[in-house]
Amino acid sequence: MNAQAFKTLVTRELWEHRSLVWAPVVTAALLVIGTLLSAQGTGSMQINLDGNDSSFFATLSTDPNVNSQLFGIWTSSLIVPQAFVGLLVIFFYLLDCLYAERKDRSILFWKSLPVSDESTVLSKGLTALIVVPVWVWLLSLVSGLLVFGIVAVKVSGTPLAPLGDFHAAVWLTSQLVLLQNLFLAALWFAPVVGYLLVASAFAPRSPLVWTILPPVLLVTAETIVFNTSHIAGFISHRLRGFFDHLGGLMTRDGEQLSMPDVVAQIDAVYRGLSAAGILGELDLWLGLPAAAALFWGAARLRRWRDAV
Amino acid sequence: MSQPVIKARGLRKTYAKGVVALDGADFNVGAGRIVGLMGPNGAGKTTALKAILGLTPFEGELSVLGRDPRIARDQLINDVCFIADVAVLPKWLRVRNALDYVAGVHPRFDRAKAEDVLARTEVRRGSRIGELSKGMITQLHLALIMAIDARLLVLDEPTLGLDLLYRRTFYEALLNDYFDHETTILVTTHQVEEVEHLLTDVLLINHGRIVLDSAVDQLPNRFVQLVTTPANLPAARALQPVHEREVFGRHVLVYDGRDTADLEALGELRTPSIADLFVACMQAPNTAAQTGVRQ
Repeated sequence: MNAQAFKTLVTRELWEHRSLVWAPVVTAALLVIGTLLSAQGTGSMQINLDGNDSSFFATLSTDPNVNSQLFGIWTSSLIVPQAFVGLLVIFFYLLDCLYAERKDRSILFWKSLPVSDESTVLSKGLTALIVVPVWVWLLSLVSGLLVFGIVAVKVSGTPLAPLGDFHAAVWLTSQLVLLQNLFLAALWFAPVVGYLLVASAFAPRSPLVWTILPPVLLVTAETIVFNTSHIAGFISHRLRGFFDHLGGLMTRDGEQLSMPDVVAQIDAVYRGLSAAGILGELDLWLGLPAAAALFWGAARLRRWRDAV
Repeated sequence: MSQPVIKARGLRKTYAKGVVALDGADFNVGAGRIVGLMGPNGAGKTTALKAILGLTPFEGELSVLGRDPRIARDQLINDVCFIADVAVLPKWLRVRNALDYVAGVHPRFDRAKAEDVLARTEVRRGSRIGELSKGMITQLHLALIMAIDARLLVLDEPTLGLDLLYRRTFYEALLNDYFDHETTILVTTHQVEEVEHLLTDVLLINHGRIVLDSAVDQLPNRFVQLVTTPANLPAARALQPVHEREVFGRHVLVYDGRDTADLEALGELRTPSIADLFVACMQAPNTAAQTGVRQ
């Protein structure tokens, strides 16, 4: 399988699952339009914020360091709604991708061409882990600049004017950190994607049920038989572990930060944008062979699986 | 016959519920032949094709282009094309993208040729497959397949559900534009009359076994059909027909490997059509199947 053929396989995925392309575009557009429409409410928002915590904005205008880091935090956090929508469409894509072809019997057409099951499964896995995330990142980069431009216009001449300063170096760094996070997330979630591919390749019908039921049954059985929750812990660690490495605005050692703390620790929060710490987790590396085994398993299932 | 393209020995396949689809089938398919694998519904045709294409596990020996489809499917499929059934092209795919896709993944796809074949049809590049009629989908599928330089083409009921006009053009295109005496074509159908005139070989399958395996030009030498009267029937029966039926008070008996000299006195002799042999083999479980007919 050469690069050209593999590119064709990925393109094929985007032809079939157009939501992978368009849902993030729509989300990005909504974000920009929403910002544009909220521009009318600037006056009242400003008063509210002023009334809540004037010291915050005092710091903002006097400390250029805090200002630039806050810029980095809010511009990169614009990816959150888009990433959420991205995750959602990727999840349903993975459920469908090895099931729909059996349901509409098109698997017989795909299999009439010289594309191995391994290449097929890999193309689907990489579409979910790399292609769509990078697309979401690109869209968030563009929509982020648009949102920033609207905000900059909107806050000029108000006490919030420092929010309209563009910090090029910080912007570039935080965008690259986001991109790096996407690749780290791809490594961390590869076994989850592998599991979904296996479920999709196996499901005799209703892949959603076949995805959710096995872990639910295992967790329930463990609770009943041993009264322990190791499996639940294992699953929840795999699903949440990546996000634990993101030092968010909301939690730090499980406690909520108040606004003055944010100002005090803004440097720490900014540095927390990167999930690079996850590279130190043994579980990340243990997950990779597991992911490879699951991808292989999905390919084996597809090899002999009949149309449904 | 040179090295066979397909060689099957003792092909067996039992499905989960104990249904025996293939029950020790033996056959060869020679290079450059057009072979019809025919049998009634449930005879094992599709299962045999699936085994040949590496789509299903099975027992026994099978070599396709010198490879075992169970272990070397990925290499095999470079040289094999198939239309597994009508309507397996996905509804969401656009005609243009179907061409893009095959061009992208198949090293031996000649896009210009496919475009050329499509240009002679009503199929529009921008249409989704879901918007095309069944006949047009088959035309598209055939255009894609015909532009691939393959050594073996497998067709499983390729014209099922098509009207007569499309069926006729399908086989004409196949014979005129595709067949070059190098490519081997294996086609299954239960509409025997449809393909009768284009085959070079017949394989009749029933209950998972091959009941007739012969070159078409050998059939007149082997089989003869006698139309006789009730008076001559006992004498005719004594010569061990493989099949017998009654039509408007006259008896039609089919013989395998019987000298015509013995039969001439008993009535009118004809060469049975493939359809006649099909009926004879399918309705005579303990004659044609177990005696002499198999080569």
